[in-house]
Amino acid sequence: MTQRLSVYEPIAPCLTAPNANPQGLGQLQGKVIGFIDNSKPNFELLVDDLSILLTERYGVKAILRQRKRSASQGASVALIEEMVSKADAVITGSGD
Amino acid sequence: MEVVKRGKLALTVCSTSFLGLGRAQQKALGVPHMPIVQIPHPFGTRSREELREIANRCVEDIAQALCEKNEQQSEQAPSTPMAAPRALSFEVDNDLEQINRLFIKKRWADGQLIAPPSVEAVKHMLRHTPLAPDHIVATVAPAMGVATVEYIAIQAVMAGCYPEYLPVLIAATEAVTTPAFHLQAIQATTNPSAVGLIINGPAAHWLEVNSGSGCMGPGHWANATLGRALRLILLNIGGAWPGEMDRATQGQPAKYSFCWAENEAASPWDPLHVERGFSRDESTVTVVGALGTWSMNMTAKKGEEVIAMIADTMQYPASSDYIYGGAPFVVLSPQHANLFHREGWDKAQVRQRLWESSKMLAGRSKGNEFDRLVNGRRGELGPINENTLIPISEKPEDISLVVAGGTGSHSVFLPVSAHTRSVTKAITFHESVSRHEP
Repeated sequence: MTQRLSVYEPIAPCLTAPNANPQGLGQLQGKVIGFIDNSKPNFELLVDDLSILLTERYGVKAILRQRKRSASQGASVALIEEMVSKADAVITGSGD
Repeated sequence: MEVVKRGKLALTVCSTSFLGLGRAQQKALGVPHMPIVQIPHPFGTRSREELREIANRCVEDIAQALCEKNEQQSEQAPSTPMAAPRALSFEVDNDLEQINRLFIKKRWADGQLIAPPSVEAVKHMLRHTPLAPDHIVATVAPAMGVATVEYIAIQAVMAGCYPEYLPVLIAATEAVTTPAFHLQAIQATTNPSAVGLIINGPAAHWLEVNSGSGCMGPGHWANATLGRALRLILLNIGGAWPGEMDRATQGQPAKYSFCWAENEAASPWDPLHVERGFSRDESTVTVVGALGTWSMNMTAKKGEEVIAMIADTMQYPASSDYIYGGAPFVVLSPQHANLFHREGWDKAQVRQRLWESSKMLAGRSKGNEFDRLVNGRRGELGPINENTLIPISEKPEDISLVVAGGTGSHSVFLPVSAHTRSVTKAITFHESVSRHEP
C-alpha cells in the first residue's frame, strides 16, 4: 500500500484589498476626459480619433493628453496628480 | 490603477490578447472593477483607416463604461489589514510520478520534475533562517502574491535546493522586488526577460556555486537549483505563467534557471559587490533582468581590439538599452579582463571605452523603432535625428562588468530589459546553523 505524504500548495495568495470603484459620470456632456498615452505604436493616433469622437458625438468639454516615456514604465506621480485634479475620468492603454 | 486609488474614474483600452493580463493585474492591484474596453490585437500594425474604424467601434463602449452606474460597490476594503497566511497542506499518495502529474496539472510547477514540498522537507528548510514562517519578505509582481519565508521555502524544496540555500533565496526575493529592478515589466513583457542571479563573496565558495568553466550551463547543483527556485518564486508567488500574466512571445531557456558566481579569484579587479559598497567578506546576491546571452569570442593581443568587438556586439536597433538608456551587463572572461588589466585599465576605464565605442547611429532604427528611440531618449539627449549618436546608457557607470567563466577567449554580453536596474542584496546566514560540508 502506498504511504501518504503531506505536501504544501505552492501558490501564494494576494493580500491586496480591493478599492471601491468610483461611480460613473452619468453623461459625458461638459466633462473633461484625460488620456494617458502608453507610447505604444498607434495609440497616439487612436487618442486623436477618440478625442474628436468624444467631443463631437458626446459633448465632452475638453481633452487632456499626456504621454508616458514607455509602456513598461508606470506614469509619474506628477502626471497622475495632474490628471486626477483636472479630469473627470482618465483613459489609459494596454497591450500591443 | 493609481488614478482609481485616488478616487477618480478610470478605464483601460486593451488589445484582446492582453485582456487576461489586464484583468489579473487589476485584481492584484486592488482595482478589480475598473472597466476595460477591448480593441483588436495586434493593434500597433493597423493602417490609419483601420484605426479610424476601431475608434468608431470602441467609442460607444468607452462612453457607456464611463457613464454607467457601478453595481459592484459593496466590495469595500477591509478595515484591518489581512494577516500573512500560512501555506495550506494536503495529503497525497507518496508517489513521485503522481505528485508531479498533479502539480503540472494544477500549474504549480515549471515543467521539470519537482521534489514534493512535504511538510517535513519545508520544516527542515526553515531551520536555516531565524525568520518566522509567516514573515513577509515582499509581494511579487505581477500577481502581487505574498512571499512569506514559508512560501519561499516551498519553492526551494520543489527546485531541489539544499536547506542552506534558503537565505540566498530570501535575499534574491528582496532584490527582485526592489522598485529599481522593475519586476512588473520583466514578468509581464513580451520580451524574453529572464532573471539572472549572480552570487558574490564567501558563500559562493562554500555553497559551491560554479564561477568557472561553464558557469552559466549545467552540472552544478547550486547554480541549477538556486536559479530554478527563483523561477518558481516568480511563477508561484509572482503569478507569471507563460501565456497568461507572462506575455513573452517565445521566452528563453534562461527562464528555467540562470545562476552563476563571479570568478573573484581570477579577476584582476574588485568584484561586483565590493564596487557596490559591500565588503569582500560579505556574501551578496545580484539580480539582473537579462534578455539573452551573446557570446563574444576573440583571441587578441590588444585591449582595444576586444573593446571594439564588444562595443560592436552591444549595438542593435531593437535594443531596449538604446531606446530607453539601459544598464547592460558585460560578463568578461578572465582572459579578456586580465588583458585589459595588463593595458593598465581599471573597470572605470573599460566602461568609459565601451560606452564611447558603442554609440549607435540613430538611423539604424527604422519606423516605429526610430519613433520609440526618439521618445525614449530626447529628454536626455535633446533633439534626435538619423545622424545622432546614441549611447547605450545615460552614463558609463550604468554598464556593469563582472568576471566569470574559465579558460577561453569568450566574453558574454547581457542586454537587459527596459528600465530595469540590477540590484544587489546582502545574504544573511543564520549563524546557529552549521554550514553544509560536502
